[in-house]
Amino acid sequence: MEWLNWFSRPENTKPLALLIFFVTFVGIVLYVYGSKKRSKRLESYKDIPFQDDARDNKDDK
Amino acid sequence: MRINFKHEWIETNIGLMLVLTMLAISVGGLVEIAPLFFIDKTVEKVEGVNVRPYTPLELRGRDIYVREGCYTCHSQMIRPFVDEKLRYGHYSLAAESQYDHPFQWGSKRTGPDLARVGGKYSNEWHVQHLIAPRSMVPESVMPNYPWLMQLLDQSDIADRMKALRAVGVPYSLTEAEREANVKNFGETVAAELHIPDAKKNLVDQANLGNYDGNKAGVSEMDALVAYLQVLGTMVDFTKVNEDDLVRSR
Amino acid sequence: MAIATYSSAEQYNFDIVKKFAIMALVWAVVGMSVGVYIASELAWPFLNFDSPYFSFGRFRPVHTSAVIFGFGGSALFATSYYVVQRTCQTRLALEGMASFTFWGWQAVIVLAALSYLMGYSQGREYAEMEWPIDILVEAVWVSYLLVFVGTIMRRKQPHIYVANWFYLAFILATALLHTFNNLAMPINLFSMKSYSLFSGTQDAMTQWWYGHNAVGFFLTAAFLGMMYYFVPKQAGRPIYSYRLSIVHFWALSFMYMWVGAHHLHWTALPDWTSTLAATFSILLLMPSWGGMINGIMTLSGAWDKLRTDPVMRFLIVALSFYGMSTFEGPMMSLKEVNALSHYTDWPVGHVHSGALGWVAMISFGSLYHMIPKLWDAKLYSTKLVEAHFWLATIGILLYIIAMWISGITQGLMGRATDEFGNLQYSFVESVAAMMPFYMMRAIGGAFFLTGVLLMVYNIYKTIRLAKLEEAALEARLASKMVNVGA
Repeated sequence: MEWLNWFSRPENTKPLALLIFFVTFVGIVLYVYGSKKRSKRLESYKDIPFQDDARDNKDDK
Repeated sequence: MRINFKHEWIETNIGLMLVLTMLAISVGGLVEIAPLFFIDKTVEKVEGVNVRPYTPLELRGRDIYVREGCYTCHSQMIRPFVDEKLRYGHYSLAAESQYDHPFQWGSKRTGPDLARVGGKYSNEWHVQHLIAPRSMVPESVMPNYPWLMQLLDQSDIADRMKALRAVGVPYSLTEAEREANVKNFGETVAAELHIPDAKKNLVDQANLGNYDGNKAGVSEMDALVAYLQVLGTMVDFTKVNEDDLVRSR
Repeated sequence: MAIATYSSAEQYNFDIVKKFAIMALVWAVVGMSVGVYIASELAWPFLNFDSPYFSFGRFRPVHTSAVIFGFGGSALFATSYYVVQRTCQTRLALEGMASFTFWGWQAVIVLAALSYLMGYSQGREYAEMEWPIDILVEAVWVSYLLVFVGTIMRRKQPHIYVANWFYLAFILATALLHTFNNLAMPINLFSMKSYSLFSGTQDAMTQWWYGHNAVGFFLTAAFLGMMYYFVPKQAGRPIYSYRLSIVHFWALSFMYMWVGAHHLHWTALPDWTSTLAATFSILLLMPSWGGMINGIMTLSGAWDKLRTDPVMRFLIVALSFYGMSTFEGPMMSLKEVNALSHYTDWPVGHVHSGALGWVAMISFGSLYHMIPKLWDAKLYSTKLVEAHFWLATIGILLYIIAMWISGITQGLMGRATDEFGNLQYSFVESVAAMMPFYMMRAIGGAFFLTGVLLMVYNIYKTIRLAKLEEAALEARLASKMVNVGA
């Protein structure tokens, strides 16, 4: 368990945390906003809450 | 290699979503908590710092402190600032709460910090103040605690110490454990930590200290005041080298 | 119309949702009444009445448990069961187990409250429940996970809607936090009393990892799930950006778990831990505001709804308070600010701007939307919703302004020294200086509570009218049947 000590040093932990977070974050953002086609596809799912309206006409009020 | 990742894989697969979400929420805790258990400098091992577990009476006092929710208004954690040093004393060390199950550092000071309240006031002051705080401090907003004068339930003191022993507090059950305590804390303290003598030790300390000013029986007040009077007194800072402490922080 | 309603009621299990929705209101009244009471105890200490059962220390966990787990928890059970059914277009799975989550959860709150009054407490904030109750919580929670995931597994819709991701993260995180923070050794099997497995520094870290993520997942992620369904539904338009919600979800889930140690700045916890936590606290501003923007912008192009629809106003103002508290939070996690704010009333105000402004208001908005649909009725009075909204808003403002002033005052009085380096004020002088603000806070709380009572009356009338209407309809149907028969 000695290797865990490596994380106890701020000079290691700070850049590491930043790196891990940043790379993942940039990856997700690039993926999500990267392509027009994909964007359109992803945005189409936002209508799900309205799809059961036909069964429940109360929502039309 | 080209992986054509789609976020829809996750959005349409509850198993994958469960796993990935679990992963995302586990990292932070693992990185911050796990090392605390393995780094030996989390708790200071410094010359002059030799904190002992609570005696049976102090332990029962601490139980009452927890029962009444004192931590909702009082902290037990002095920070390293000038004003806190002037008001409360030396900043708190990790070692000072190493036998505290649970910790009672608190988060709010509606009343003052109590980490070093031990020895600051007389027993009589504490008793009077707990029964009727505004008779001692007119501006206080603390509730009255008259019911603390009731008799202390001593029946399960050994069970309590055994449970604490199971989670790592060095209360002794066997002769070997007692001897280890003699080596670490000295003969007098080791005797107090011996579970088979718990009840006798508890009554003896209450009678000797007479914390509540009433010789008849051991009250909850006896226990609570004994606990308050020991808070923050276990480290003798005249014997501690400040530089050693800074290195541990 | 009646036919459509029947099919909807058959398709979905609304019974369990109704029960939880009603209990959310009951616990709101109980928990907030206790809150106003303990706030008054600080202003007028005679209210402790020399009684162990009413003393602040034992009564305060009754308040926190009743509002967080009673009101918040029941509102989350209700809305999550509603949202998961409607977005998966399927009936709730494992109905017996779902029913157990209801009775089990209500038992947890009642037992917890009684045990605190009797003096049983683990001495850990927001986790005061002793071990037998913790085990019951665990059982309810595992059942909750099974019901929720089971329902998703039988969905008719290939996609799992984003609201469900947030509910799922909340269920998982709560299970994780609850389990590890409540590891304890009972003194014997027939006693409620236990001692925590960890001690001192490690115990503090575990507790605040729990404590802050109870805020992060119980009081934030889950209510964001609520937001992602009810804001679009009430506005009648889809969420502003589904892509933003993907980024929002992963960033929030990942980052929240790091920030707990900012509650332990300048303590005996090693510096690296709290510094790391502060760093993540600042970063957390981004996903928090991303979520807020996503919610508020849903209304873009239909801003007039804010004027005309008080339910919509509840939802949007909740998001504004969310934005405000998630800005205030990272600021308070800065070490220099924390040195002043910690241990004072400021964090209390901060928590309540989140709890009253965000959590309670988004719940009120969602319940106002959902309850008429559950009972197939129209809301009894929009005017009362309007009144509730203003009472709640004024109450929150009184509360947090009082706590800002008293908190900063206490912080400044604590560190003030004279020209010789002596302390300028004794502790009790700062207590005396708090008094007007403690009174102001209690009055703010009373405003908020009054609003809730209006809501309860409004909902009571709504349900009663719905039942009367249904009875009349059935009577008409029955008489028609008789006519046909004759």
